[in-house]
Amino acid sequence: MTRNTDTGDDSGDAVTDGGVTEDPSGSGFSPIAALNDRFGSDFVESSQFWLPPFLLVGLFVYGAIIWNFLISLTDFSGFGNPNYGDLDLEMYTRALAESGFVDAAVNTFILLVGFTLVTLGLGLGLAILVDRNIRFENTFRTIYLLPMSLSFVVTAQFWAWMFNFNNGVINIVTSSLGLGRVDWLGNPDIVLWAVMFALMWQFAGYAMVVYLAGLRAIPNEHYEAAKVDGASTVRMYWRVIIPQLKGSTISASVVLMVFALKAFDFLYSLVGGYRPPNGADILATKMVREAYANLNWAYASAIAIALFLMTLGIVGPYLYYQYNRGNL
Amino acid sequence: MGTLELDGVTKVFPDGDGEIVAVDDVDIEMRDGEFLVVVGPSGCGKSTTLRMVAGLETISSGEIRLAGKTINDVKPQHRDIAMVFQSYALYPHMTVRENMAFGLEESTDLSDDAIDERVTDAAGTMGISELLDRKPSDLSGGQRQRVALGRAIVRDPEVFLMDEPLSNLDAKLRSEMRTELQRLQDELDVTTMYVTHDQTEAMTMGDRIAILNAGELQQVATPLECYHEPANRFVAGFIGDPSMNFFDVRRDGETLVGDAFDYPLSASTLDDVGDVTDLTLGVRPEDVSLAGDATGEHTFSTVVDVVEPMGDENTVYLRFEDAPEGDTFIATVGGLQQVSAGDEITIEIPEETIHLFDGNSGEAVHNREIDE
Repeated sequence: MTRNTDTGDDSGDAVTDGGVTEDPSGSGFSPIAALNDRFGSDFVESSQFWLPPFLLVGLFVYGAIIWNFLISLTDFSGFGNPNYGDLDLEMYTRALAESGFVDAAVNTFILLVGFTLVTLGLGLGLAILVDRNIRFENTFRTIYLLPMSLSFVVTAQFWAWMFNFNNGVINIVTSSLGLGRVDWLGNPDIVLWAVMFALMWQFAGYAMVVYLAGLRAIPNEHYEAAKVDGASTVRMYWRVIIPQLKGSTISASVVLMVFALKAFDFLYSLVGGYRPPNGADILATKMVREAYANLNWAYASAIAIALFLMTLGIVGPYLYYQYNRGNL
Repeated sequence: MGTLELDGVTKVFPDGDGEIVAVDDVDIEMRDGEFLVVVGPSGCGKSTTLRMVAGLETISSGEIRLAGKTINDVKPQHRDIAMVFQSYALYPHMTVRENMAFGLEESTDLSDDAIDERVTDAAGTMGISELLDRKPSDLSGGQRQRVALGRAIVRDPEVFLMDEPLSNLDAKLRSEMRTELQRLQDELDVTTMYVTHDQTEAMTMGDRIAILNAGELQQVATPLECYHEPANRFVAGFIGDPSMNFFDVRRDGETLVGDAFDYPLSASTLDDVGDVTDLTLGVRPEDVSLAGDATGEHTFSTVVDVVEPMGDENTVYLRFEDAPEGDTFIATVGGLQQVSAGDEITIEIPEETIHLFDGNSGEAVHNREIDE
């Protein structure tokens, strides 16, 4: 457009077909040149390719988030249309005052931290074992990863059966060992941990694969150098190998935490409804229940915003970390 | 102290149904403070030998003794050895200081202060004091090499093991480090086993050279002995660049009969040969000299095929007059000698410079004479 290279005229006062003159000395002001300077040399020229998807994503993702936030400021519930004329933070104060919301938030947090830590630990342990040149390595890897490939609807049903008070396989084992029956899903103090266990079973394989890739990237010489340096196997892993898995840990934990926040489908399938067992209610299930069972649209939107902020709190630092390492 | 003995050391790797003998019955004895270079072509088992000494490979049979004690079943972390890897194997998440301190922290009970002092000392020796707080990723190849060496010397072990430590450096840096390593080893006086495929390193650095081929030890001797008195044809061909010329010959009475020439032998050489008739005649390129005329009994008429000028000398590819095209051998002549392709020149192969090898076993039956 304003570049005169294709005209072959480099006298500096080329007039393009649009009639826009560019002064190569830089004394004049051109918004296009300024944009190109700021965002890279072909920012404007390439916009026809990236701008349409950029706008579509902006509208349907970020626009929807903003709209959701607007709804959370209204009192919209039941049938009808929201009234945007009267915006306040009432839904947020109501949430903080409601014990159901606080419980769900606490449960979400426990699930988030507990599930992530235990899954990472288990995944790391499996990865180290599988990486030690064992026989049937591929078979083990597949077996550990297999639960990942199953739908949550399926695994939730499995676990619902296995946790069953009267004829679930877990209670049959515990009672035959003389430990008595445990009401895994009915006892509010236990149910969250039972759910966490089931999720951990499903996701440990994923953490293992991520860690295994990380382990494979560490040259053999590092193991050997550590051994020759006098480190025992445990010390070698602790001081030389595991610190080098920082990148794997960060990527795996972001995925696991984000999943823990939206573990809705697992809980929904576990009971086949919007109301998870007492003691296992998390923000995601409460949000859906408030919206579609109770038609408290504005309130559900406020919960959604709370969930969104938690996600942002997890992904934000990750993006910052990647940005600092020059990966963004 | 740090004497290291390898006694009949053998390594067998399983390979499908069969097995591969990587190291075959190797005997080496190293004095305390000796610098032994283990050299050989790729896949000769030299690295495997080193790794067995380090404890990173199990020993199939035989015995390795360090300071008189058998260490076959001692884990690598308890062997009191330090190893320098070809890839350096610096821990990327630790600073140079932490890298160097790691071995001391893991293998000794020294206090933090004592460790820090030794690290600072070793860094001073290696000239890397100002790098101590940097990460390996911030260092150049040469600096990483120094850190890897520093990490080994700070341990003050019984034995240093080095696995081609210079092969990742560029040529200039490599020759610098070669000299420096030699000086360092001399100062520290620690028994060192050094593996390389580079015969220049072998010749210049070692007190002695151990030459391996196909898992078998060919010769252990000083560099000059290996050069002038090779135990067999393999050693003769491996040591020296350009390598020794070989001609298959047959002994007929007092004369060696080759495809393109006859070579009469004196009585003393014939004594060495004994009753072997299939022989290989070897002569080093620098021992092939230009002769004025073809009157001597060891002079031959040849045609120059290719000349490679190196500045200080010319590498000349020669062909005997009767030999077929492409069947050349090499002579090195002075850089100022005017020789060009197509010239017919007369060369002399003096009898005192020739080596004779058994044509079947490759064992040396006669080596060149050396003026004491």
